[in-house]
Amino acid sequence: MKKTIAVLVSTAVFLACEPPPRTDLTRTTQVKSEAAFVTADEVSPTEEYVMVTTAVNMPLYVNHDQAAFRQWAEKMGVRASILGPAEWDVPAQIATLEQVIPTKPAGLLINGTDPGIAQAVNKAVAAGIPTVVYDSEIPNTRRHCFIGSNWYEMGRLQGERMAQLIGGKGKVACMGILGMENMEAGFRGFQDALKKHPGIDFIGKYDDKANVETAAKLAADLIAAHPDLAGIGGFDSNSGPGIALSVKESGKVGRVKITTVDAEPEHLRLVKEGVIDYLVGQKREVFTWLGAQLLFDMRHKTVALSADDARAGVVPIPSTISTGSIEIDRTNVDNFLSKTIRP
Amino acid sequence: MKTYLPYLKDRIVTLSLMIALLCVVMAAIYPDTFPTRENFSQILLNLSIDTIVAVGMMVLLIAGAFDLSVGSVVAFSGGLAGHLMYFYDVNFMVAIGAGLAGSLLIGWINGYLITRVGINPMIQTLAMMGIVRGFALMLSGAGIQNFPYEFIYIGQSKLLSLQAPIWYMLAVVLIFNYLVNNTVFFRRYYYIGGNEKAATLAGIRVERMKQWAFVLTALLAGIAGILLSSRLGAALSTSGRGLELRVITAVILGGASLSGGQGRIWGAFLGSAFMGLVNNALIIGRVSGYWQEVILGLILIAAVGLDQWLQKQSAVRTISEITPKAAKNELPV
Repeated sequence: MKKTIAVLVSTAVFLACEPPPRTDLTRTTQVKSEAAFVTADEVSPTEEYVMVTTAVNMPLYVNHDQAAFRQWAEKMGVRASILGPAEWDVPAQIATLEQVIPTKPAGLLINGTDPGIAQAVNKAVAAGIPTVVYDSEIPNTRRHCFIGSNWYEMGRLQGERMAQLIGGKGKVACMGILGMENMEAGFRGFQDALKKHPGIDFIGKYDDKANVETAAKLAADLIAAHPDLAGIGGFDSNSGPGIALSVKESGKVGRVKITTVDAEPEHLRLVKEGVIDYLVGQKREVFTWLGAQLLFDMRHKTVALSADDARAGVVPIPSTISTGSIEIDRTNVDNFLSKTIRP
Repeated sequence: MKTYLPYLKDRIVTLSLMIALLCVVMAAIYPDTFPTRENFSQILLNLSIDTIVAVGMMVLLIAGAFDLSVGSVVAFSGGLAGHLMYFYDVNFMVAIGAGLAGSLLIGWINGYLITRVGINPMIQTLAMMGIVRGFALMLSGAGIQNFPYEFIYIGQSKLLSLQAPIWYMLAVVLIFNYLVNNTVFFRRYYYIGGNEKAATLAGIRVERMKQWAFVLTALLAGIAGILLSSRLGAALSTSGRGLELRVITAVILGGASLSGGQGRIWGAFLGSAFMGLVNNALIIGRVSGYWQEVILGLILIAAVGLDQWLQKQSAVRTISEITPKAAKNELPV
């Protein structure tokens, strides 16, 4: 009798379950909106645009993305909120995003930290919130727009410059955060560029956990293990300063070439000193400013393609914008060092 | 006030009151966004993974130990299952079984090295945290997606409009609450945590029991990892980062003691729920991420401080009640 009841209850529970939709998530594109996105005629001072990221305290984000986003909001007379976990914690970013969606902000500017946030991005779109993914593309989403960098291309640029710097031969390593989609794409681009030079021996990619001390320790170990090391590539904001520290301490400035990402004041200073040879930076202020502006334009129907784009299922902003990269070396670093005004 | 002190010294009661108070205040300040079904459903969904792990951690803390590798196990179990399904087309049930078996093995190794070899639990589980995170990175790489629909179903289906992980969490809490309250096996953990030597003298096989507690904790972390991967539709190598500290905080808030012998399963649930609610309140209140860690830390200190104060008040009251009776020879002293 107990078994029968258990089977009946289990069957009832199974039948009562609402299955997840069988959606085709194999493409990333703007699609005809199932739920019309929210629009407004008037700009209100309470109108709120929310930036959701992870590692919200990371200096790179604070100094570039968040500063540009706040300045944009001030100029437009709207509210800007910046939310997300303090640590690099993608599930916590997803949880933040999912809790922001029911509060129906005017627009969501989401840092494309990991492909795992795809479903949360789709939830925002389904809730009718104008949604822009910035920095790195998230495959399998229905985001209204992606604006940011192509990390594979950034890696390729680094690899090509590294090959040029070391004369097409020697041992090369790279470091960054292993497991992150955008950095793995960068590693691939770096390695693909090096493969064109048979004289280059790629000795591996290492996880510096976006930490200066870890990057310095890794670089020191690499230099100790490979006295003939020709170059190291860096893929997160702290890789460059960490590698530079060890190269300086081992007295190998100029003999171990350094290429890395980002253009923070410390990176620029190290280029000026001749410790770092090449930087490939992102146009972070550009993509956060423009991303927020696209959200605003979408909400306020700045450019209309039909009588009512939201109802017609037309997204009146670009689908994908690549903001490209900034290349910095000793020939142009002074222009960046003397820069004082941000957008 | 004094009349209510005996009740207020119970962490379950104080936590429930704090949760109720927080809800009332938030509902008053944000009537449009906080007290909604959608928001509460989201809060429960977000705390479900932490709570499942917290239940295992509560059992372990009752026994007087803790495990810092649970966050890595969460990433590992989902990563292993995802890897097998994506790269080897393994049936989803087999992949889940492999993820759980791997988690069990990690728990068994932790338990064996701590109880039989005598390695300090903090050192052992800290080392295991790094090792397992490394395996999770190798398995998940830059993240694995496009899982079979049957796997997605486990974490994304809904019952009564509540997503499946909420129901799994409730099932785990109810089952373990029953087991810890009603079975001799689990009641022994209180004796072990309260006084390990006395428990040994009483004939309890302490080493074996503790090893089982590590296995159980890792298994629950493995289940949480599978659920998280299914819910997200992705296996992420970054999953579970910092989860161990969140869970230990929730369990301590819920009445466990680092010295062992105390705590209840409902406490683990309420501790997680309180932290989930605070997190939700900070997001709805648009409190910057810069402040969230500070506020969560202050809340933990305040909650434990309040508890200590109530315990002291209760002890003072008990002594003041007993002393006059003793003076009148009404009580044997």
